[in-house]
Amino acid sequence: MEPGPLTSVLLDDTVRRERAKARLYVLCQAGGWGFFLGFQAAIVLLFSHNDEPRDKTTTLSTLVMVSAMGLLLTHYLRPLIGRWGWKQLGWRALVPRVLITSAVISLLWSTLGYGYSYGILRLPGSPTYSLALLFTLSSIDGMILLIGWLCLYFFYHLFDSFNRLQIQQLSLATHAKEAELRALKSQVNPHFIFNSLNSLRALIEEDPARARQAVTQLANLLRYSLQSGQLETVPFEDELRVVNDYLALEQVRHEERLRLRLDVAPETLQLPIPPMLLQTLVENAVKYGISMRPEGGEIAIIARRENGSLRLQVTNPGALETDPVRLNPAGGSTGLGLANAANRLRLLFGDQATLRLRPGLPGNVVAEAIIPLPVSHA
Amino acid sequence: MKALLIDDERLARNELRRLLAAFPDVVVAGEAANAKQAREQLAALSPDLIFLDVQMPGETGLDLLESLEPPVPHVIFTTAYDEFAVKAFELNALDYLLKPVDPARLAGALDRLRSKLGTAPAPAERPAKLAAEDKVFVREGDRCWFVELKSIRLLESEGNYTRVHFDSAQPQLFRSLNAMEERLDPKYFFRANRRQIINLAWIDKIEPWFSGGLLVHLKGGAKVELSRRQAQEFREKMSL
Repeated sequence: MEPGPLTSVLLDDTVRRERAKARLYVLCQAGGWGFFLGFQAAIVLLFSHNDEPRDKTTTLSTLVMVSAMGLLLTHYLRPLIGRWGWKQLGWRALVPRVLITSAVISLLWSTLGYGYSYGILRLPGSPTYSLALLFTLSSIDGMILLIGWLCLYFFYHLFDSFNRLQIQQLSLATHAKEAELRALKSQVNPHFIFNSLNSLRALIEEDPARARQAVTQLANLLRYSLQSGQLETVPFEDELRVVNDYLALEQVRHEERLRLRLDVAPETLQLPIPPMLLQTLVENAVKYGISMRPEGGEIAIIARRENGSLRLQVTNPGALETDPVRLNPAGGSTGLGLANAANRLRLLFGDQATLRLRPGLPGNVVAEAIIPLPVSHA
Repeated sequence: MKALLIDDERLARNELRRLLAAFPDVVVAGEAANAKQAREQLAALSPDLIFLDVQMPGETGLDLLESLEPPVPHVIFTTAYDEFAVKAFELNALDYLLKPVDPARLAGALDRLRSKLGTAPAPAERPAKLAAEDKVFVREGDRCWFVELKSIRLLESEGNYTRVHFDSAQPQLFRSLNAMEERLDPKYFFRANRRQIINLAWIDKIEPWFSGGLLVHLKGGAKVELSRRQAQEFREKMSL
């Protein structure tokens, strides 16, 4: 199913944000380490004395080397943080990890710097301080610096994920609003409403008791479709009750042409589903499986709880190759309904939720929705 | 008036029957639940009027109408909610009723029909050939028309279909030119060549053409060539 306009907007937005993030990272790394290098170089140039054992050029190149090492070490640390999943950690778990990491990297950094300068290049040591003291001091310096680096890094991600959460919530709210507006317009098909009213007019004469019942069923359906748009999820049981009312009304119209089979596992009844989801699937099944076929047929609703998700299947007679959803997009309000339902499902439950049409038993089409269960139900 | 009710829902037919009981001059002669039954009933009853549901399983009401042999009876469409169909009906001044049917609108539609029937010849003494006032139903895309034969200037063969020219439209008719020719009254229509039939009432002027043929100009701009043999026949016919 095609992603709707909202999903593609979100997609574009994600790409744009990723690019902005990469730019900001390069800027911060270059700026930060550039400042580190420039600040120390300025101190050397301004305050060093000529009686020191090495010339300024050697000192400056050592500084460049040390800064480059810092830049590289932190640069390779960044993907590791992502891989270890530290961005998802709480601060209690994060603090010891930050301390240990900065200590380890600082030691590595000092070892590399001192090892290269004094071990390989054999530069002359300081006359006043021992090498061990200098090594310890610069390790501590390095550790403080790295803690600062990591703090900045995690602060940025804290704000970033906060922003992203807000955007997600906003788009969900927009979608719920749209769904509410669409509730009467496309999800309960107006053609169905007026045909039902027409059947009702006839029933009032022929079977007043059944007519009274049908009025209640139609009222239930209209009320539900108006109200449930404001909810994110409803218990499956509530939706099923309304779908039953809807099917009873369709049976008034289609009589023996519409046969029904319900196969619902009792443990699914309390599970949460997006409102109007089953209704959309069933309406679609009646439209293509019953209304367009002179011989009518059987609609089956099957609900199962499987591997931490709710699996809903609605089958109707028909074939996918000639599925009018694709052949006749202008006339099919439920084709749009299915696409809307799929988008809403994705926004509410992420990528684990799916909705698809597939061929079932020979001569049958199955609409199948898989809805992951929330933690409290899993 | 003899009426046939075509709707896939039994309750909808019953409701209409009940509403029509208020009009003693309308006799409901039969009912049909789909296009197939409707064809049988049309052949058996030859009603003056059909109430036709647009949305039906299998063939829709418009599909059925398009496939009928002319002359088509008077049609009052019924629909619950179909923006496209209603737009088409209004565009072409066709009579339609929205379900549930408002009795006052039904009365209005029947009034319009009575005034039309008053001017047309009674169906009983209808000859085998179609009269100039008889109508064919044509549809193209969103548009549909009941066209009186006398307003058709030209019929052109396009394989199994026939393109009919009238007013400013030229939609395709769902049957072959030969099938049409059999039903058209030679008093009004003339087979000009293998591909075209012209309406004699629409001829503007005639000029001689190559090797003894004729070129016929129709009002509205079309030109039709007649070969020598057809020109001969044409002259004989016109001199009569």
